[in-house]
Amino acid sequence: MDTLTPTPAPADHFLPRTDAPSADLAVATRGLMKRYGRQVALTGLDMSVPTGKVYGFLGPNGSGKTTALRLLTGLLRPNAGTISLFGTPYTWHDRTRLFRVGSLIETPSFYPYLSGAENLDVLSASGPPTDKRRIDQVLEYVGMSGRAKSPIQTYSLGMKQRLGIAAAMLSDPDLLLLDEPANGLDPGGMVAMRETLRYFTGELGKTVVISSHLLHEVEMLADVVGIIDHGRLIREGPLHELLEAAGRVRVRVAPEDMTKAAGVLREFAPDRPLYGVDSGDQAGWFTVGVAPARAAEINRALAGAGIYAAGLEPGSDLESIFLELTGRTGVVGATAAAAPAPSVEPGPPPMGPA
Amino acid sequence: MRLIRAELLKARRRTMTWVLLVVALVLTGVIYLLIGRAIGGVSCALGGVLRGDQGTCIVEFPAAYGLIDQFAFSTLGGLLAIVFAAAFVGADWNWGVLRNVIARGESRARYLLGKAAGVAIVLAIGAALIFFFALLMTYITAFANGVPVASPLRGNGLTDMLANLLLGYLVVLERAALGFAVAVLLRSQLAGAVVGIVLYLGEGIVTTFLTLTAFGRMFGRGGDFGSGLQLIGPEWFQYLPMTVGNQVLSSAPGVSGNLASGGIEGLFLKPVPLEQALPALLIYLFVAVIASVVALNRQEVI
Repeated sequence: MDTLTPTPAPADHFLPRTDAPSADLAVATRGLMKRYGRQVALTGLDMSVPTGKVYGFLGPNGSGKTTALRLLTGLLRPNAGTISLFGTPYTWHDRTRLFRVGSLIETPSFYPYLSGAENLDVLSASGPPTDKRRIDQVLEYVGMSGRAKSPIQTYSLGMKQRLGIAAAMLSDPDLLLLDEPANGLDPGGMVAMRETLRYFTGELGKTVVISSHLLHEVEMLADVVGIIDHGRLIREGPLHELLEAAGRVRVRVAPEDMTKAAGVLREFAPDRPLYGVDSGDQAGWFTVGVAPARAAEINRALAGAGIYAAGLEPGSDLESIFLELTGRTGVVGATAAAAPAPSVEPGPPPMGPA
Repeated sequence: MRLIRAELLKARRRTMTWVLLVVALVLTGVIYLLIGRAIGGVSCALGGVLRGDQGTCIVEFPAAYGLIDQFAFSTLGGLLAIVFAAAFVGADWNWGVLRNVIARGESRARYLLGKAAGVAIVLAIGAALIFFFALLMTYITAFANGVPVASPLRGNGLTDMLANLLLGYLVVLERAALGFAVAVLLRSQLAGAVVGIVLYLGEGIVTTFLTLTAFGRMFGRGGDFGSGLQLIGPEWFQYLPMTVGNQVLSSAPGVSGNLASGGIEGLFLKPVPLEQALPALLIYLFVAVIASVVALNRQEVI
C-alpha cells in the first residue's frame, strides 16, 4: 500500500521559460533572480499574471513572495532576469510605468501623526497626477470615510490595512499588487475586501496579484494561482484546473476490505498514488486522486465489487495542494502508512474559469 | 509644487517641528535673561558701544547682531536645524513611507528635492522667527537693565538687518543640508540627528584644538606680541563644513571677527573673507543635497 508522499512538481516547471511575455499578461517575469548578500531570495522566477484576473501568489514564509513584489515595484534591483508589465519590458529606471500599478507591500506604512485622509493627500502628491476627489472615493471603497480625519496612530491594524488598500487604489491603477492584504482584517473587512477586489477585476477589468498565507481567502478570490518555494515558482495555473488535477476523494471501507477496495480504487487514478490507512483510529480510509465530482462513481464501483463505503468525503482544497507542493509542516504523509490521511474539507467552489 | 506643498503639510502637522521651534525660542529667551542678570546696566554684552565719560553702554545696531546671530544661526539655530532636517527626511525610512512613494513611480530625485525645498522653507520661517525674537529680547533685556537701545533701522539699518538674516539663513541651511545628507545615507532619523550633532560638536572640538595648536606653533616661532595679541591665519580648518559657517557669519554687518561662532578661534584667528567663505559654504550645501540624491537613487528600499 502506498504511503502519503508529497507530489513532486512536473520537471518542466524547473526549466527556465523562454517564451516571450505576451501583451495579455499584466505581469511576466523570466528568470528573475535576487540575492541579499550571500542569501539568495529568488532563484529564477518565471511568473505570468494574466490581465483582468485575480492572481493568488502563494508560498511559505521566506519563499520570496515579498521580494518578488518589491522587484515589481522598483524598490529592489534584480540581479538577473526580466520583468514585463503589460507586455513591455520594465526596468529599475522606468518609474513612470509604475503609474499603472498600485501596491501594498508588507505592512501598510503611513505618517502616524497625519489623519488617514491627509496621508492619502500627501501620497497623491507623488507619482501619477491624482484627482483629489479620488481620496474620498477610495476611502469609501474600504469603509474608512467615518475615520478619515482621525490620526493614524489611533487606528487598529485592520484599519491601517484598509487604508493601505485605499492607498494602493489611489491612482486608479490597472494592476494591484497586494502583499498579505487580509492581515488584521475582521471577517466583515475580509468580505468587503473580497467584494472590492472582485468589482475591481470583474467590473473594471483590472488585474490583482494577491500574496497571502490565508489560503482559504485566496481560494475564494483567485482565478489563477502561482505557488513559490525557495525563490522559484513550482506551480502556476488556473485555480480550477489545479484543484481538479489535484482533486481527491476520501473513502472509508471496512479494514478487512482494504486490499480488495484498493484494487477497485486504483483503477480510478492509475497515474496517481493511492493513499490508505490500514491501522489505528483512521484505519480503512483511502484517499483517491480523482476529481471530487467522481465520488458517486467511486461509491458505485465499490458497491459493484460488494464493498460498501462507510464514509465518503469528496473535495480538494488549496491548502492540501500547497502543503503537498511545498512539503511544509503538516506534510501529507510525512509519517508512515499508519498516519491518518489529512482531513479534506470541501472548500467553496473556485471562482470562474481562468 | 505638489510635492513641496505635501512636505509643508507634513512639517506643519508634525509635533517635532513645533517642539524644536519652542525649544529655540525658550533657550534664546533664557540666554538673554541670564545676560540681563549679568550686565547690570554697565556692560556692552548685548552688543553696543561705550558712550560718555561714565562708560555707559548704548546698545547699537548692527553691533547687537553679533550676539543675535550667534544664537539664532550659529550655535542654537545651527544645531536645531541639523536635528530638524535629519529627523524630517530620516522618518521616511523609519515609518516605511518612502516605499509607498517609490512604488507609485515617483522620481527619487524629485521627491528628495521636494523634501529639501520643504525643509528650506520651514527653516526660513524658523530662522526668521528666532532672529526677530532675539532682536525683541535684546530690547527687553536692555530696557530691563536701563540700557538705552538705538533703533535697528537707523541709517543702513534695514540693509544690515537683511544681510544678517540672509547670511545667517544660509549658514542654517548648510548645516541642515549636512544633517539631511547624513540621515539619507544612514536611512534613519535618529542616526541622522545623532551623527549630525556629533559631527557638529566634534568639529567644534577639533577646531578648538587646531586653533590652540596653530597659536602655540606661532608662539613657539617667537611671534611678535609686543604690540598686543596678533591674529593668525586664516587656517585650513576654518574651511571645514561647520566652521566655515561661522566664517560667513563673521562677515555679517556688525559681527566682530569670527566671534559669532562662540568658539575660541575668534580670539586667535583671522576670519576667512566672505568671498572665500560663502562659496565654500554653498559648495558644502550643494554637495550635501547632490550626495543625498545620488545615495537615494542607488539605494534599494526595503
